[in-house]
Amino acid sequence: MNDTLTRRELGRRLSRLADASVAEVLALAPAAPSTVPRIGLTGAPGVGKSSLAGRLGLLRAQARRVGMLAVDPSSPVSGGAILGDRIRLDELAGAENLYLRSIASRSSSDGLAENLPELLETLAAAGFDELVLETVGVGQAEHAVRSQVDTLALVLMPGSGDTVQAMKAGMMELADLYVINKCELPGAQQLAAEIQRVQALVGSHGGWAAPVVLTSIHDADTITDLSAAIDAHQAWLVDSGNREAVLEQRARYRLRLLLERRLGEVLGTVSPQALDGSLAEQFASVAAALPLDDGTP
Amino acid sequence: MNTSTATAAGNGGTTTPLRGKRILVAKPGLDGHDIGAKVVALALRNAGAEVIYTGLRKSPQQIARVAVDEGVDAVGLSILSGSHRELVRQVVECLRAEDAADIAVFVGGTVPQEDHADLAALGVRGIYTSDQPLAEVIAALAAALG
Repeated sequence: MNDTLTRRELGRRLSRLADASVAEVLALAPAAPSTVPRIGLTGAPGVGKSSLAGRLGLLRAQARRVGMLAVDPSSPVSGGAILGDRIRLDELAGAENLYLRSIASRSSSDGLAENLPELLETLAAAGFDELVLETVGVGQAEHAVRSQVDTLALVLMPGSGDTVQAMKAGMMELADLYVINKCELPGAQQLAAEIQRVQALVGSHGGWAAPVVLTSIHDADTITDLSAAIDAHQAWLVDSGNREAVLEQRARYRLRLLLERRLGEVLGTVSPQALDGSLAEQFASVAAALPLDDGTP
Repeated sequence: MNTSTATAAGNGGTTTPLRGKRILVAKPGLDGHDIGAKVVALALRNAGAEVIYTGLRKSPQQIARVAVDEGVDAVGLSILSGSHRELVRQVVECLRAEDAADIAVFVGGTVPQEDHADLAALGVRGIYTSDQPLAEVIAALAAALG
């Protein structure tokens, strides 16, 4: 953490940002976008992402300061959420080099979390050397995660049948690493073979062939393997010149989210009369009335 | 920005009085079970709060650190062991040491009436026992947190 922001201040700022309007986001945003490396872990509920992320975070925090964000779904009924990652990450509580923050997805359009890019930027600006983002895989959310991280690991487990689900969601083309967690369970090798077959059909993206890593939180060597695979991908991103494109995509997505949210704010104020007439007429009248300011009163 | 979920809730104003609040539910000390804490956590969530739950047997230092990192509005301590006075005092001190004395502290569990004044003197904003209806607890929390 840097000198200007205490842990307490960072905690507060993140709470404030999670609720922030577009105008507030613009006022609070760090001066320049960050370039610190970012790792994403995504996968279906129950595959052991939180525990795995915790182990990975502890390992990587031995050499650097790591900021972790874990996104959990909000109830669509009450808007509330149980953010349970703290239960599984007991041993993180005392780690000075590790900062964990739980985030609720709220009503965000991409299934991740309101203002997630801003939360990540703020963490980065607080002086962390690396960010880890953990999310529940629900299809469309992965595409958003893709833009937020440099290295995206898809976490699977034996016997869950989620390779088919992953293919449906288009995840097989998005992941930089496949992690088979709980690899002590029967079927881990078969799953690895299956992924490699599917991947051979899909082909490498941009010259990177996504490796399959087998992990178990009961075997520290496998966490080291995962960490090494992440390092290899990050080195490849830089050496191949692909990181520039990742950062550019990230900047576009961040801006797009803000514009979408501003549009949502504006649409909420449109009069019912503007919704009369044909769709083309509605579009024209609302578009004509759209202010492209940030909404500062 | 929450219009879609508010609509789904039917009535965002009265059924979800804790919407937008972040609350840490924590179990300090050596209690062996946490059914009560989990029931309360679920009730808080249903009232719209974002609830972070620590799990069993956390130290006051751990609880204060999580409260700070998670930027919560309130900490609810569930204590059944009878050592509420000591544990609450330590949590309050740890919060103060983290520059987080403004985070509201509530206590739930088995707290005899004669100890309520002592806890209040430590800065506890509300004490709730298992015979109280959850709706009453939610209403009191919502009032206290504004």
